[in-house]
Amino acid sequence: MAATGQVKDFTATMGWARGGRSSLRSTNLIRIGLLLGMGIGWEALSRSGLLFRDVVPSLFSIWAAIWKLVMNPAFYANLQVTAWEIFASLAIGGGLGVAVGIILGANRFLGAAYEPYVYYLAPTPRIIFFPVMIMWFGVGVASKIALGALSCFFTVALSTAGGMREIDKVLIRVGRSFRATPWQMAMKIYLPAMRVPVLNGIRLGFGTATVTALLAETKLSNQGLGFMIMQIYSRFDMPSLYGLLIIVFILAGVGNLILGKATGTSA
Amino acid sequence: MTLASTATTGAPSGQRPQLVIDKVFKQFGVGPGAVTAVDHVSFDVKPGEFVSVIGPSGCGKSTLFNIIGGLLDEYEGDVLIERERIAGPHKAVGMVFQEESTFPWRNVIDNVAFPLELQGVNKSERLDRAHHFIDLVGLKGFERLMPSALSGGMRQRVSIARTLVSQPQILLMDEPFAALDEQTRLLLGDKITQIQQDLNQTTLLITHNLTEAVQLSDRIVVMTYRPGKVKRIVDIDLPRPRSSDVVSSDAFGHYVAEIWADLREEASRGMADSESARRGGSRG
Repeated sequence: MAATGQVKDFTATMGWARGGRSSLRSTNLIRIGLLLGMGIGWEALSRSGLLFRDVVPSLFSIWAAIWKLVMNPAFYANLQVTAWEIFASLAIGGGLGVAVGIILGANRFLGAAYEPYVYYLAPTPRIIFFPVMIMWFGVGVASKIALGALSCFFTVALSTAGGMREIDKVLIRVGRSFRATPWQMAMKIYLPAMRVPVLNGIRLGFGTATVTALLAETKLSNQGLGFMIMQIYSRFDMPSLYGLLIIVFILAGVGNLILGKATGTSA
Repeated sequence: MTLASTATTGAPSGQRPQLVIDKVFKQFGVGPGAVTAVDHVSFDVKPGEFVSVIGPSGCGKSTLFNIIGGLLDEYEGDVLIERERIAGPHKAVGMVFQEESTFPWRNVIDNVAFPLELQGVNKSERLDRAHHFIDLVGLKGFERLMPSALSGGMRQRVSIARTLVSQPQILLMDEPFAALDEQTRLLLGDKITQIQQDLNQTTLLITHNLTEAVQLSDRIVVMTYRPGKVKRIVDIDLPRPRSSDVVSSDAFGHYVAEIWADLREEASRGMADSESARRGGSRG
């Protein structure tokens, strides 16, 4: 369901949606075709002997490596660590982001004063703060959570502030004309009106938190999926490396999909 | 005058509030740049009466709407309901806004039930009453649709039903049909006339549309272009019950012509003003 929804939106934005259902089927065909083509090309390259052995391992060995990984309890221990890091980053950074976003969005003066900071800091690569975080929080999970929280904070704060400001003013006047109490205004007008931008921000925040956590783990850590990737890399176990990358790819995709479904913003 | 009219419409309506606008004055800004939006406007609305305020853009109509609705607190003069000066939105007044104002996250019935939800009315009674008013504005069968699935005219009817469900003693509307095409406007006008007659609803309509004003009103308050003053108050003596057929009658044409003569002068002043402002480049 969600997947077809995404396809529809994609085709609609690309201006392909004229054919309706049949074009939907043809986009699916194109997608499958691309994957198949890549697989075949990969396999051909791996068997051609053109490249150094193991740089492009055979798909079959990757599949075997994925199977081995999935059966390995160490994989789940690391997965759990990374998942916890992402969750905690999102809870801390996202929570603060929503709070700060509401303050900046609601107060024109504070918004004008501080929002430029948030804007200019938002695109800086947070990984440069990693050494600082290690000094403050050590090489363990805490430094990754701190960095992850820092990175999703900006995304969530900006989209919340934007959502707050985009609330249709007439809806607020409607609430006042029916003499809603401040609590009713918050619960029945502000909150539902901001739902979509806030949830979208949280979804984007999930993305940045994931990227940051994994990136930080590959730099300096003693557990987590990023740590596992670097361990495998140091053994030059290419099939397992590709296998783990594919797993991370799929997990991130599924996580995003679940979040999209849960928030009703799957488009 | 008031007492006489309540006496003729029967005893119970004697308790109904009457709206009095007394020398209302509102200025925006201070010093030489100040703009007087509403300049000592006075008129009243009797129980069960349909009054329109008409004037060109820039005559302070919307400012007056916000003042009467209690959304604009700082003004001089008085807006009296039941002889008391209003402070903030009054419970006797139900407002319908010019802009798209349905809640996009609520379906039709939940939109309409909104005021009852605020009042803490229990769910079954809420839905019953909402159904009644959805029916009244002719949207039966659309209860579960979201506003995005409706046309502009239907959404505006949802807004009207939402305001009616709170059973305001005075219905206050600001160009509710401004965004609609002429045919829809005439048909919705019929709907409004019918509702107003069924409920004996006291209504104050703010509009810039002349035919709409004549079609619907018992009295029309003609405003001048900036500063907004009352230029004239015209009694519309067309028969009731009324429908949009009335637009083809001679009397209707006579009223339109008469009010237009007043309005044209004001509208052309407004037009000249906005043109010279453009020429001066002071406004984009």
